[in-house]
Amino acid sequence: MAQSAQPIKKRRGILGALALIAIAIGLYWGLVIAPPDAYQGEVQRIMYLHLPSILTAYLSYFLVFIGSGMYLWKREKRDDILAHSAAELGVLFTALTIIEGSIWGRPTWGVWWTWDARLTLTAVRSLIEDESRAASAAAVLGIIGFLDIPLIHMSVYWWRTLHQPPSILQPNKAPWENVHPSMLTALTISFVGFLLLYFYLLSLRYRFGEMRCEIKARRLARGG
Amino acid sequence: MGAWGFVGLAYGIVWGIILLYLISLKRRYNSAQAELDALSSMEATDRHVKK
Repeated sequence: MAQSAQPIKKRRGILGALALIAIAIGLYWGLVIAPPDAYQGEVQRIMYLHLPSILTAYLSYFLVFIGSGMYLWKREKRDDILAHSAAELGVLFTALTIIEGSIWGRPTWGVWWTWDARLTLTAVRSLIEDESRAASAAAVLGIIGFLDIPLIHMSVYWWRTLHQPPSILQPNKAPWENVHPSMLTALTISFVGFLLLYFYLLSLRYRFGEMRCEIKARRLARGG
Repeated sequence: MGAWGFVGLAYGIVWGIILLYLISLKRRYNSAQAELDALSSMEATDRHVKK
């Protein structure tokens, strides 16, 4: 294990460095190069955080779904660790999405929060994870929780409330037809930065989960 | 608060929370690593005593 731990640590370090670089470029592009939005003005720059955060949260819940399904099928501890690690990060990125949306909503909608369908479903999604549950129950809940994702995405079409329909991911239009190329570049770089950061954090959190399991097993073996 | 105030607030809070999470995760990671190292040394002592 000691032999394989070093290359993994090195790869994790490279991932962390790449994440930092992408985040720095994304920040510069989003705050300096990209033009202000014609309608929302400078406040729209919050979207360079908001969209990457929610897409990263979606990815995280997809990994919870995969890890949970695999755990129920194969009963392997590593799948349970993956599901738990992805769930913790999913909650983090969902919370960030809600905070960014709330700060953006105040100058744009005039309110910090409203019981809009998409906002409420996203908040519910962040409450569907709890590390203290037993592995099987958490796995079942992780799968059920993943089913909330399409509801969140489609909620703005199904219920006409304060949250506007998507600006980028529209069904009949390519993303570059909807926004200025410089805005799309800022979003893409920012998203890449969030993805790299996500996989760096996931790798760290996964190894932490592995170590906790190892400690538990070795303590039991020692009779303590 | 002006438009840039809201932008600064959002970016500050988000990167602050991410930094706090990273620090907390690193602390948990290092503490687990230290516990594993302590267990390894205890196991090595046990083996030595048995011999």
